[in-house]
Order: sequence, then structure tokens, then C-alpha cells
Amino acid sequence: MYTLRRGLLAGVCASLVLAMFDFVTDGAPGNGLPAALRWFGITVADPTISRWVGFFLLIVLGGIFGLIFGALQRGKLITTGRALLTGLALGVLWWLIFELLLMNILNHASSPFSLSFGRFLASFPLDALFGVLIGAISIQWQVRHAAEAQ
Amino acid sequence: MHISSSARKPKRVGATASGEGAVAPPITLSERSATGLALLRIFVGYLWFQQLFWKLPPTFAGLYGYVVRESQHAILPGYGTLLQHTFLDGCPSLSSPVGCTAFVPLAACVWTAELLVAISLLFGLFTRFGAILATILSVQLYVGLAYTEWIWTYGMLVLLALVLVAVPAGRRLGIDLWLAPRLQAAGQRHRLAHIASWFV
Repeated sequence: MYTLRRGLLAGVCASLVLAMFDFVTDGAPGNGLPAALRWFGITVADPTISRWVGFFLLIVLGGIFGLIFGALQRGKLITTGRALLTGLALGVLWWLIFELLLMNILNHASSPFSLSFGRFLASFPLDALFGVLIGAISIQWQVRHAAEAQ
Repeated sequence: MHISSSARKPKRVGATASGEGAVAPPITLSERSATGLALLRIFVGYLWFQQLFWKLPPTFAGLYGYVVRESQHAILPGYGTLLQHTFLDGCPSLSSPVGCTAFVPLAACVWTAELLVAISLLFGLFTRFGAILATILSVQLYVGLAYTEWIWTYGMLVLLALVLVAVPAGRRLGIDLWLAPRLQAAGQRHRLAHIASWFV
């Protein structure tokens, strides 16, 4: 149960970093937040509501990925290397599902795997970072929890 | 848990005026401070990451105007002339890089260096190497462009990068967390690992 809760919180914190990235975009603050809505084909006419709903969706999705991370630990203590690798794999999975497959399907692209260099560069490093952050946050909390338990 | 700025043995950092050899207490960052600096590192990395997109390969067209401006407004004597007679040599236009063959290798190197900085700082991977590279790039921008915009714009970029050279910010929320102890252990046997450990 503890690893699940730790994973959930790590996922929420990592998605908060992604949300901050979407906030500090060119143009109006928070311009990048509605991107999460576009993965599911949702459009909200009001830009302010669209940003808030996008923000909450991003946090919820981050929490779900964090829960998956926690579930993969099966309640055991994990090493730093394994935490970072598992997180990275989840980040790549996030990219595959949301930025590649869903975006291509919703944009009626010729193939669900079609990708330009610019789109890859804009999405892959940040999604991989999201995964690495889940692993890094989780391992830091594990170390602190172990130190407090002693 | 402690985090120190150096893997090496702590140095004596001060002495009394009378020279009695009193030592200032070592500075230890709290876990919260270290995490705060890691977040700062991530956002500085994102700053560099965002700037990759207006000068994408293969043309790097967005960069051209800035190189031209540097050749006209550099604060270092001779720097502008150097640019004009090397990377801008034979360029037919000041507004477009078309036909400007020497500009492309420069732009490719700048873009690759900025990509390395972004990846290094975002992921906390050889963070100090990324920060050193960021410092060099920022100083170059300061020399070339400082007086064409708000004077502190590029000055702040230099200072931010220097903070990340000084503090091992990749050892929290970054891959250096995993890399640093391994490189330090291996560094006692292998010179290359020892050198690599300076950059995490």
C-alpha cells in the first residue's frame, strides 16, 4: 500500500512539473495545458476553462502512471537504477500512447506511428523526463522513509 | 542525507584574523534545498530546450539574424570582424542564410551544444558538464548580444549557469543520483571515471 501511495504522489508531482512546462509557453500563460484534452478529442470553447480542465486531466493521468509505477514495485524496496529505468519506461509509454498513437488517430494521420522530427523533439524528451522524475521522486522518498524508520 | 558540492575531501574554508586555524563550519544543503536546486536545474534546462525550436535543422534559419547582429554589436573588439570573415564570409544577404555555406557548420554546432545543455540539465545527466557548456554559450551570447537587448538578459543566463556549475544539482531528481556514487567508486581505480566524476 505504501509503494502505491508513494507512486501516486510521485506521479502527481512529476505531472505538476509537466504542467509548469505547459504554463511557461509562448503567448498566454498556460497555453500548453489544453494539449492534454486534445489527446482525447475534447475541446472546450472557453480558453480559461480549457486550461484548467487540461491541467486537472494532466494531474490525474500523472497520478495513474504513478500508481502503475507503485504497483510495479510490488511493495518491495527498489534500487535507484531500477526506479529510474522503470520510470523512464513509463515515460516512453506515456509518449507512445498520448503523443504518438492518440494524436495520430485523432488527427487522422496516414499511420498511427507517423512522426516528424520536430514533433518527436518537442514531445519525447519531456515525456521521458516525466518518467525519470517519477522514479527519482519515488526513490528519494524511499530513502527518506527508510531513514525515518531507523 | 547530506549533499556536498564536491566528492573530494572537504577543504578548510576559513581562518581567524590571528591565523589560529579556526575553520568555518562546512555548508550542508538540506534535502529541501537540494530538491529546490534540482527544480531550478530542470527549468533552466527547459529554458534551453524551448530555444531549440526556432532554429531547427537543416536550415537553422532563425539563428542567422542573431549571428548577423552579433557581428555588428559585439562588445569584444575584433569579435564582429572575426564572425564576418569566417562564418558569414561570402553570405549574399543579411536577412537570409541562403547561399551562406560557412554559416551551416556553425549553426549545427550551436544547435547541438544547446541540445546537449537541455538534455543534460533536464535529466540531471552529467549536470555540471551541461552547466559548463551553458556558461560558455551564455558568455558568447553576452559578448555578442548584451547591448542589443536588456543588458541583464544574457548576464542572468551566465549567472544561472554558474550556479549549476557550483552545485551538484543533478544528484536530486536526476540521473546523476545513480551515476555519482558509481563514478566516484570507479574513479579510485580508473582515471577516466575520476575525470567523469567531476562533471556530475
